[in-house]
Amino acid sequence: MFGKLAFRNMKRSARDYLVYILTMTVVTALMYAFNSLIFQNDVNQYFELEAIMEVMIGLATFFIVLIVAWLINYMVRFMLEKRSGEFGIYLLLGMKKKMIARIYMRENILLGGLSFLIGLVFGILLRQVLLAVMFSMVRMEYHLKISFHYWTILMTILCYAGCYLLALFRCKRKFKKMNIHDLMDEKRRNEEIKENGEGFKRLFLPLSILFILSFWAVFSGLSNAGEIALFLIGLVVTIYLFYMGLSAWIICYVRKKGNRIYQGQNLFLLRQFASKVRTMQFTMGTLTALFTLALMGASIALMFSDYENTVLEEKFPFDIQVNSVEPMDDFADEIEVIEENTEVQKLYSYQIYTDNQNQVNSWMVTHLRAWGTMYQNKDGSPNAKKIEKMLESEGVYCTYDTYMGITDYNELREMLGYDKTAINDGEYLVHIKPRLYEEVKDIGKDLQIADATGEGKLSCAGVFREPFSQDGHNGGDYVVVVPDQVLERMTPYYAELAADIKGEAPLGLNKKLDALTDDEGRDSTSHVVPELEGNSCCGSDNIISYAAVNLVRDNLIPEVKFMLASLIIPLFYIGLVFVCVAVTVLSVQQLSDSAKYKFRYDVLAKLGLEREQIHRLIRKQLGAYYLCPAALAIIISGKMILSMSKGFVIMTGVPVISSSFFVKSIALFFGIYAVYYVVTYIGFVRNVDEKGR
Amino acid sequence: MSNYIRVCDVEKYYGNKSNVTKAVDRVSFCVEKGEFVGVMGASGSGKTTLLNMLATIDRVTAGHIYYENTDITELKEDELSEFRKKNLGFVFQEYNLLDTLTIEENIILALTIQGGKKQEIRQECDQILRLLGIVDIREKFPYQVSGGQKQRCACARALVNHPRLLLADEPTGALDSRSAQTLLETFTDLNQTMGATILMVTHDAFSSSYCNRILFLKDGKIFHELVRGDKPRKIFLQEILDVLSLTGGELSDVR
Repeated sequence: MFGKLAFRNMKRSARDYLVYILTMTVVTALMYAFNSLIFQNDVNQYFELEAIMEVMIGLATFFIVLIVAWLINYMVRFMLEKRSGEFGIYLLLGMKKKMIARIYMRENILLGGLSFLIGLVFGILLRQVLLAVMFSMVRMEYHLKISFHYWTILMTILCYAGCYLLALFRCKRKFKKMNIHDLMDEKRRNEEIKENGEGFKRLFLPLSILFILSFWAVFSGLSNAGEIALFLIGLVVTIYLFYMGLSAWIICYVRKKGNRIYQGQNLFLLRQFASKVRTMQFTMGTLTALFTLALMGASIALMFSDYENTVLEEKFPFDIQVNSVEPMDDFADEIEVIEENTEVQKLYSYQIYTDNQNQVNSWMVTHLRAWGTMYQNKDGSPNAKKIEKMLESEGVYCTYDTYMGITDYNELREMLGYDKTAINDGEYLVHIKPRLYEEVKDIGKDLQIADATGEGKLSCAGVFREPFSQDGHNGGDYVVVVPDQVLERMTPYYAELAADIKGEAPLGLNKKLDALTDDEGRDSTSHVVPELEGNSCCGSDNIISYAAVNLVRDNLIPEVKFMLASLIIPLFYIGLVFVCVAVTVLSVQQLSDSAKYKFRYDVLAKLGLEREQIHRLIRKQLGAYYLCPAALAIIISGKMILSMSKGFVIMTGVPVISSSFFVKSIALFFGIYAVYYVVTYIGFVRNVDEKGR
Repeated sequence: MSNYIRVCDVEKYYGNKSNVTKAVDRVSFCVEKGEFVGVMGASGSGKTTLLNMLATIDRVTAGHIYYENTDITELKEDELSEFRKKNLGFVFQEYNLLDTLTIEENIILALTIQGGKKQEIRQECDQILRLLGIVDIREKFPYQVSGGQKQRCACARALVNHPRLLLADEPTGALDSRSAQTLLETFTDLNQTMGATILMVTHDAFSSSYCNRILFLKDGKIFHELVRGDKPRKIFLQEILDVLSLTGGELSDVR
């Protein structure tokens, strides 16, 4: 009998909370698909990355379990509140509290189980999509393969059950404390609007706006972790106070009988909104926080994916490139490996030279935006001591400037398919990373480079900016190209080998080249990394810098993409789930209100509002309710995202306007938003228009 | 015959072909301007259905309802809400006040929906609050005041736009006898001083004794009509009870 009751109740709840079920289904599907990346990642087998993806997804899962548990807890409590009258009647009829609790739990578990099963089916499909996306990211062909993995399912079940346990545990306590009167009274209590101290509380609104403004003004200037943490805590407090202040402000306005309330249905809208925000201020604050995090996650993911699609391709212009710190290295072993494994079109080994000075390096660290005034004296002149120390220890640039002969330069240009260039005996040119061109194009005015005799000066013939492998191979960031005879007064600094091969390099060539060096100095991907001392460096790329002794383009691009994917995918995962959870809470709230407060709209109809007018009213009401947390989240995250993406564009050279990430993630976010808004609106109108009940 | 409000051969059926319930069966009557008409009947006699049709909330199956020269059975959905806005006021058993608004704001909203200037709205609102004696509670929310006060607020809201007809569905149903009496006296007062036309549906003899005229409904048909004339209320009440006892009506309602 009780089983039947639970089942029937579940059926009814399912209809009432369709949006909740939808979200739980989506969450299950996402969980399954992403968990499957941990256990049955078909891409993983090609890369010896030490479980980056697994760790990242594990981390994401942790946060998601917490948030989903919050959603379930919220929903369970919410349903309990809505149905308290019914439970009160059960108690009156003589049912034991324990029994009711059990029925209720059973109901929820049935509801959860149902969405889990549906979600699992979608999850298996979603996994295919996800893998297809990943394979295309790393440029491999993917064959559709529906598989069922027990570990993945087990993990998904565990996550899901974890959410439920966390949620239901808290609810059980609430059940224990309740008595019949409270249960029967719960509904009524909900409608009471307690208004006291509004005049004081409304000050929170200007205060929180002031804080947010100061946040915008000061954020980019924050330097140490303590200040940032303090500001973030302030921000969280502000978010919650904002809603308290907003609702109080509206109430005060209505009480004062401002002019606006005498127009159309404004009075109804304002009151409705204020009372909703009032009772929901804590939830609204949490939703704002979720939206903020989701927006930031999506923006960061977009940054990396943009990088991957634009800059990455230019990072490795040569098919194969090898670096050696021995200036006289003949690369015999490497050439043997390359010839064994590929069909070589051209091999070219050459030397990078130095004049044992650091005027170009100094110029770079004092003129690039990335460092600002860090290495300048107060009067703007370079701080030689600081620069010297930095050049020796940080490995951004070699200790001394890097030069290359024009013959070598033209050979390499030809290999890359660029036009050859020529310089006169009295000239030099600078080849720079594309992203730094704008900052460096006037470098010729400041450099003093001696000619072959050591007496005259060379003049600058131009600055070139094609992709040229300048992360420690052809210099770090820059290389100065001089006439061959000038090299005679310089010393060879280190050696380079570049290769042009036919077709694609075979899988694992990079590893074979790496195997020629002993095991020391490997990174997490088991590639040989430069020591970053003296004559080896990695350039000024930040955030994503990829410096390796051996570069095989066709091996590395997929690998870097895979690494980036391990960042991008979990971030999107978090963003998606957070947004879905947040909008679900909004939707469910409104939908249940539409049923509970249907009479409000009936009254309006009796007062003479047309159907279309009521629908417009509902659209406005939903719009305000949906927009409020989103707008606040956009304003708050905006500053952080904009300054982050500005830094990202400067440091990586992604060729886009820095605000585009922000705009794109807002667009993405509003896409999901719009879907939920429309679904809610339709459900709302249906509830309100429904006759009887 | 006056042509203020005319109900002509109105029928309302529920259900489908095989199972038809006649809620209202060929009912005809008129309401004069400034009349206070009561409709009485047991549960299920069709009185609320009749009221809903007059209120344009429900549609007739057959027949016509004329408000002066307008036949509301011919109006379209949008025209109906426009008509409702201009001509009708409602008072219901469950008050139907908006719980998020204060007493005063409930009245203001009714005025702003009609459209109007701020000054006029303030004036009208103050006037009606005073008239119904709820000035003291204007700042309170519905849940903070008593049932009688709520119902008076509902009356104020219904009357503030000077409707042609005030429709009341069991307005005293949820009130204690003291509040009910106050409300009914208010109705009589409004009827006499403001000249408001009121149609009240009730199953309570005491309430209906305040009316000028009472229509008795049974099984969807009018089976009797009582006019108060100049009789004192006590005697009129006795007459009502006599009619009710004829039909086995609800004597328990006598207070």
